[in-house]
Amino acid sequence: MIRTSLIAAVALSVMAGTAWAQTWTGGDDLPTSPLACDATPATAAAKPYDGAEPANVPDRKGKEITVVDVPKLIGIGYFNATSKGIADAAKELGNVSVKTDGPTKANIDEQITFIDNYITSGVDGILFAANDPVAIAPVLKKALSKGINVVGYDANSTPDARQWFVNQAEFNGIAKALVDNMAKEIGEDGAFAIVTSTFTTPNQARWIAEMAAYAEKCHPNMKWLETVEAQEDNVLSFNQASTLINKYGDELKGLFGMTSVATPASAEAVTQAGKCGEIAVVGLATPNAMKPYVEKDCVTSVVLWNPVDLGYAAMHVMRAVADGALKPGATSVTAGKLGELQVINGSEILLGAPFTFTKENIGGFDF
Amino acid sequence: MAVAGVLGRRSAASRLVEGYGQELVVLGAIAALLVIVGTVNPRFLGENNLISMFSGNAYIAVAAIGMSLVIISGHIDVSVGSLIGVLATIAGTLAVGDYPIWVAWTVPVLVGVVINTFVGALIAYFRIPSIVVTLGMLSILKGGLISYTAGTWITGMPPEFFIAQARLFGIPAPVYFMVVLTIAMALWMRYAALGRAIYAVGGNPEAARASGLYPERVCVAAFAMHGFFAGIAALLFATQLQVIQSTVPPNLELTVITASVIGGVSILGGTGTVIGSTLAAILFACISSALVFLNVSAYWLRAVLGLLILATVLADMARRRRHRAGRL
Repeated sequence: MIRTSLIAAVALSVMAGTAWAQTWTGGDDLPTSPLACDATPATAAAKPYDGAEPANVPDRKGKEITVVDVPKLIGIGYFNATSKGIADAAKELGNVSVKTDGPTKANIDEQITFIDNYITSGVDGILFAANDPVAIAPVLKKALSKGINVVGYDANSTPDARQWFVNQAEFNGIAKALVDNMAKEIGEDGAFAIVTSTFTTPNQARWIAEMAAYAEKCHPNMKWLETVEAQEDNVLSFNQASTLINKYGDELKGLFGMTSVATPASAEAVTQAGKCGEIAVVGLATPNAMKPYVEKDCVTSVVLWNPVDLGYAAMHVMRAVADGALKPGATSVTAGKLGELQVINGSEILLGAPFTFTKENIGGFDF
Repeated sequence: MAVAGVLGRRSAASRLVEGYGQELVVLGAIAALLVIVGTVNPRFLGENNLISMFSGNAYIAVAAIGMSLVIISGHIDVSVGSLIGVLATIAGTLAVGDYPIWVAWTVPVLVGVVINTFVGALIAYFRIPSIVVTLGMLSILKGGLISYTAGTWITGMPPEFFIAQARLFGIPAPVYFMVVLTIAMALWMRYAALGRAIYAVGGNPEAARASGLYPERVCVAAFAMHGFFAGIAALLFATQLQVIQSTVPPNLELTVITASVIGGVSILGGTGTVIGSTLAAILFACISSALVFLNVSAYWLRAVLGLLILATVLADMARRRRHRAGRL
């Protein structure tokens, strides 16, 4: 009797599930702001400067300055790439001496100690990528109170604890890059599915909502099949992607990976199903995890930002702040070879359109 | 057991139901699911999807074999997920570190045996409850792994390393591991002296001691074997994809314990089979695949598994009550 009810329970939950079907896309309900279908940048909404001002700043215009870069941690490919960009920019500028130093693991306490020591030793500028936006604030405020210029990149602090923050990518920019690349690979009427982390993860839900808005505006005939959750779990992502491939058969032309876990796992599922070239995988991922698939021509575009450019932009912003060229209320800043970068959200500088890694350039990145 | 006395008068069918009740239930549930979802979408029964289902979760079935041994012996291990994470990372590190492939394959299994032998010894000889020891191990292994790897992924293993991606007659290697190990262990549990001792000790340690067994040694042996299976599971897990995440797979220990329990292994020890736990692992794979086919959120998997656990434990208690009543 209990056995019968057990079977009934399984059957019932399965049937209850069917009734629920086809309600979710995985996006959130917040307002979206899809970008233009061509490369026109978004018009920045005017927002007053909300960064901080250092106290008693000496005149540094054109003078040689000493800058320290304290990333979340050192010794990993990603921050090696940002510090390379920072060093490149410093060399190009010629009047900056810069050093990257920081904890060997992403630990906020150690990061605070590093920054504190550099304040004591006396530097002109601090670049940081915060391990925690709130916990890092007091030590950054201390730096500001000593007349040190403070600029963040990659991971922000609260705005009142730094002057500017270089933002690597906005949600609508990522969404545009993903959908445009997918449309290029599977055509304007292709059908695709999405593998995400969970429907409640804020970043992923935001990206998906922006993707839906952008696809509707610029690629209205693409068919959105389904979004599945796979948490941040490698094997689950692989299983979910495999199941999608099995479920839709030839109808499925593309898979979006919304996390750096889901994208390589989806590519693996396509590879193991022998569908390379038939099912495109486009997603957010780090180059190292994607190299095997890009080199085998199973994946053609991996979307992220270029960390070398991110560091390069951060250094230029630091120099512009020290020179007094970038003041509150500015709408753009010149960043060497990257050209004019836009000011957004009051005190953030947008790096620009996301970077697409392809077979031609992926070998040059190690993170 | 009361059943033994009346066995002779029962038909073969009722003996099968008595001996393998829960296994048959799980088998029935798998069949029901295949039929129902297969009717809704025939692609569910396509060759590719069947292979995905059997192969993708085989490592859970293998880990559940070891877990079943431990639970049958009257203990539990909540650290198996962390252990598999650690062993997978060891395998990957060795594989990218220019060691021969056989080293990358055997060292994790040996390390699994060593760690769990130690765990078993702590439980058996220091009389610390297994849940306490393994909770401690869970934290040690998880913390150690995160501090050591800082979450960096392992990539670029040589192609020969990927044993789980090998195929024989079109069937992926993990399926063979799952089937062969399950059958071998089912026979071993039934006929080998140590296998039977595990049941005896789990059922009633004092009675087992009185009849000349050493519950401590049996406990250590059960944990050591569990370490072996965790090692094999870690290999299948590590070689399935091109990337090893070098973190602890989320909730893996719960999934493995759930497989054992739903497969009919009594959480109180003494009864159950590894056939049941393997079938239960296959059932999970079918359910999780069915959820995608029916467009249901993966979160329902947890809810369904929870429901299954409750139903199974209730069934187990009812069975025990019936046996007690039979004895009176």
